[in-house]
Amino acid sequence: MIKLFSLKNAKKDGESPKTGTQKKASAAQLRIQKDITELNLPKTCGTEFPDPDDLLTFKLIICPDEGFYKGGRFVFSFKVGPNYPHEPPKVKCETQVYHPNIDLEGNVCLNILREDWKPVLTINSIVYGLQYLFLEPNPEDPLNKDAADVLQNNRRMFEQNVIKAMRGGYIGQCYFQRCLK
Amino acid sequence: MASPAPKSPEQSEKSRKYDRQLRLWNDHGQALLESAHICLINANALGTEIMKSLVLPGIGAFTIIDGHKVKDEDIGSNFFLDSDSLGKSRAQVTTQLLLEMNSDVRGDFIDEGPEQILNNSPDFFNNFSLVIACAMPEKSLVVLSRKLWELDIPLIACRTIGFVGHIRVQVKEHTVVETHPDNEKSDLRLDKPFEALKKHFDAIDLESMDLKDHSHTPYVIILYKYLEKWRSTYGGDMPKTYAEKEEFRQMLRAGIRKDEENVPLSEENFEEAIKAVNTCLSPTIVPSGVKEILNDNNCVNLNSKSTSFWIIAKAIRDFVENEGDGLLPQKGSLPDMVADTEKFVSLQQVYHKQAGLDVEAVWRRTLQLLRQLGKPSDSIPEKDVKLYCRHASELCVQRGTCIADEYDPKLLNVNEIVESLENPESFMVHYVMLRGVDKFIDEYNTYPGEFDDHVEPDIVKLKACISKLLGEWGCGPVVKDDYVHEFCRYGGAELHSVSATVGGLAAQEAVKFITHQYKPVNNTFIFDAVSCTGNTFFL
Amino acid sequence: MDEENLHRKLSSLRKILERSGPFCRPDFEPSPESLKFLMQNCKILVVGAGGLGCECLKNLALMGFRQMEVIDMDVIDLSNLNRQFLFRHKDIGKSKAVTAAKFINDRIPGCNVTPHFCRIQDKEPEFYKQFHIILCGLDSIIARRWINSMLTSLLVYNDDQLDVSSVIPLIDGGTEGFKGNLRVILPGLTPCIECSLDLYPPQITYPLCTIANTPRLPEHCIEYVKVVQWPRENPFDCCIDGDDPQHITWIYEKSNDRALHFGIRGLTYRLVQGVIKNIIPAVASTNAIIASMCCTEVFKVATSCSASLNNYMVFSNTDGIYTFSYEAEKNENCLSCSHSIKEVPLKSLDVKLKEFIDILKYDNAFQLKNPSITAKISGKNKTLYVENIASLEEQTRQNLSKSLFELGISNQTDLIVADSTAPSTFTFKVKVSD
Repeated sequence: MIKLFSLKNAKKDGESPKTGTQKKASAAQLRIQKDITELNLPKTCGTEFPDPDDLLTFKLIICPDEGFYKGGRFVFSFKVGPNYPHEPPKVKCETQVYHPNIDLEGNVCLNILREDWKPVLTINSIVYGLQYLFLEPNPEDPLNKDAADVLQNNRRMFEQNVIKAMRGGYIGQCYFQRCLK
Repeated sequence: MASPAPKSPEQSEKSRKYDRQLRLWNDHGQALLESAHICLINANALGTEIMKSLVLPGIGAFTIIDGHKVKDEDIGSNFFLDSDSLGKSRAQVTTQLLLEMNSDVRGDFIDEGPEQILNNSPDFFNNFSLVIACAMPEKSLVVLSRKLWELDIPLIACRTIGFVGHIRVQVKEHTVVETHPDNEKSDLRLDKPFEALKKHFDAIDLESMDLKDHSHTPYVIILYKYLEKWRSTYGGDMPKTYAEKEEFRQMLRAGIRKDEENVPLSEENFEEAIKAVNTCLSPTIVPSGVKEILNDNNCVNLNSKSTSFWIIAKAIRDFVENEGDGLLPQKGSLPDMVADTEKFVSLQQVYHKQAGLDVEAVWRRTLQLLRQLGKPSDSIPEKDVKLYCRHASELCVQRGTCIADEYDPKLLNVNEIVESLENPESFMVHYVMLRGVDKFIDEYNTYPGEFDDHVEPDIVKLKACISKLLGEWGCGPVVKDDYVHEFCRYGGAELHSVSATVGGLAAQEAVKFITHQYKPVNNTFIFDAVSCTGNTFFL
Repeated sequence: MDEENLHRKLSSLRKILERSGPFCRPDFEPSPESLKFLMQNCKILVVGAGGLGCECLKNLALMGFRQMEVIDMDVIDLSNLNRQFLFRHKDIGKSKAVTAAKFINDRIPGCNVTPHFCRIQDKEPEFYKQFHIILCGLDSIIARRWINSMLTSLLVYNDDQLDVSSVIPLIDGGTEGFKGNLRVILPGLTPCIECSLDLYPPQITYPLCTIANTPRLPEHCIEYVKVVQWPRENPFDCCIDGDDPQHITWIYEKSNDRALHFGIRGLTYRLVQGVIKNIIPAVASTNAIIASMCCTEVFKVATSCSASLNNYMVFSNTDGIYTFSYEAEKNENCLSCSHSIKEVPLKSLDVKLKEFIDILKYDNAFQLKNPSITAKISGKNKTLYVENIASLEEQTRQNLSKSLFELGISNQTDLIVADSTAPSTFTFKVKVSD
């Protein structure tokens, strides 16, 4: 226990202790540096930091080497807020993609990005989660219902649609930009 | 572009002002609050802190009874006195400054002590919804408590000395429909499905579903289907023991669909079903607490004075014995669960519809009872019956004791005191000290230790008071001297922050009594500001 | 005469502070000095002038404290008036901090509350350093964490020994409906906010696919309009403002349509407001209870007259009155309060970053594996080197051949180092021998 009264009374008269007067890095910042240092990217993934001094804003690029999306190149933007890791980072898909779990606005349906996020999870967990979405698109709980229906009822057609979309072209009414590597 | 605003009652200024609390006790709770008239005896720091937490949320009206003139000590601890109020009527100044906080509230005061009022105008208290008494001396508290006990008006008596606070509520009988339990139990009826529910379940065939439907079927249906399977193997009972439940979970696990390589797919609804085995497979019954209420004399034998709580309770009792087939009315709600919209909403609809039918039945029985009692049929609105049915499994009736009985050694619950004192962690010792202080004041007309040069002699006197008290109760000398010293150190000091804590606590109990929502404390709470915790006792 | 009045006004506090008792802290010395300290010297910062803040200012003022400051960036809203008792209808739109301070100063003669109508982040460490105790009454976890991290950054260590005079106790209260909690934190000595971040419940969120395709609850419909429909249709050419009734009305109508379409019951205007603004129910009594408990703790810490709460208390009065206190544990790897400042002796600041990193890796005292280093240099975050991420490595490689001096590092600079060998980050400082 400290005894504030006598301590602080004394302190007022004398010199105050020397502390660094610069602001310390925020807890979110310390944590993201830790996360990044421990980031273990699979060989299909890369990162881009538009400003290397800002570790809270970056892009993740996934180039799947197997599955439906082999040969594609998909960019996700990460924004880590001041309440990280209490709150998850905001992740959006910047590449238009024909995918049951990613809608045309770039919203991604991945449980750990919303309802199942916990402070013990890291950027690494999200990277692996996103990578898995490309290997195993899940038609059961879709965001893009059309894509999910096709995947469920006609896998071949889904495969063709993915390739068509990645090459750049229309699927139904919707135009997808080319995103091949 | 901007469409006309829909007519929403929530838009009114009042509901915007009270928005944050309406989310806790709703508009009907607020209406009760706004029609309440509360009497405060003694506007010391504790008294005004209680009133603050009642004026802000908008009680209808208050009356302050206080014969004191404002002293410096009052100004130093009471926020609702300013430096100009020295020598003025404490009742008047505090009434005025409390009213400043909320223009919706009416307030008046009587510049007399409670003793005079009790003597001169015994009917004065008849019309209050609730009376709060702060730091009242033993003798007048006993008279007041008897009076209010007779009148059946709730009384909250409280005080603080130094780091110790004491709240005592007195109410003959208090009934609560909306107790707002932290974990509300759902009413799924898997063991005793009503007809429409059984029909709904029977129309579903899990086996023939495609994967998408299979993984989006609410777990309630899954549990029912596997219960049927279970029963076909093991007979009528649901799994009861841990081993049986584990086996049942295994059955559920085996029901998860598999892929081409025989690896189980991820079916969240099955995972939910497995988790729900513990909570959802207990037999549907009338909870014992509710059974007691339905068998209560007040329920079984209604009379012209019966409150609507008991009339509806009787209607529910009749319902249980007749169309309810031994069960309470259906709650009509379904917790959220993994499912697609159609399967969830249609199941919800089945429960909801049944709840509506049950409300109708209870409502019919209520009207019948009102007729029998010779009361007008509009004396209980249908929406009250609906609310009651929704919460029928959580009803609560509390019965208290009269404060005056505590001051009669023959009627005091000495057992509770002796047993609690055996626990060194218990704050019962504070209660004993406070009672000793009562005795001291009665005898010497000051607080023990009130004057700096009297602390040492007061320690001896207070010790004597305590011994006498314990002797009257027939207990040994079980209180350590340390506590006697500590209470003489306090010298009756009222620490503002301690009074503010007890004030907030007491105010919330008052809100519970008035709104008939949430369970009040029954009946004594001792707060210890040193450890920042408290204990509840029944005296 | 005035002196005598004052003396009498304070008589209750004097009894507690000028008399000794069997339950006082052993180091408590009863004397008039304690009260003098409270009234003349003891500086308290109240963070937040809302439900808890208003109560705290009043409580502290009546517990003898006179030198207080209060900081809050918010202005008064109609919905505050059911509990923030220092505000009146005419004050709507004014600064909470300014209005609260004025009210207290007017009501209690001699009280000197200084308001700060700004964000906590706008104040420098020098500002926070001047207080003896900081009392937090906030509803935001971000702000709590920020204050916490500020206070841990003010700790001074000499040869690994914490200089206790640099400890600024933090008393933190929180409420939600009829529930509340309170903790006493001695940064560096007892568990801090960051040590037990998982105590704070996460905000309720719903799976995106549920709100998009299989809504079941009215909340799902509201979230859909908020997350998908609003950005798509952008009806007012701006972000959602929960205080703009036009916005809420638009969301209410759209989610109502959606609920009707799916046959979902229970959507109300109040619910829409609640979900969009993330409204936490609040009532005067709970705020009064938690705030006053906080202030009793401030009083105890400031005067040593009694032991403090050790160190966490939870409260609820939905079913009777429930209180429970327990000792939360310090996280030895806490990113915020575990002391991990290490000094690296160097001949001069001419040492190249590469050489510096080699010291961290190969010197027996450190033995790190792949340290990444950042620093705050002239107020800006700077990433000096990150080894394991290819893109960052490339972008920061040129720093390796620069000297610490060229990079702007002095012996004042905190170098933040993360490494795969340690569960938390370190702060390194260079120590130049002359």
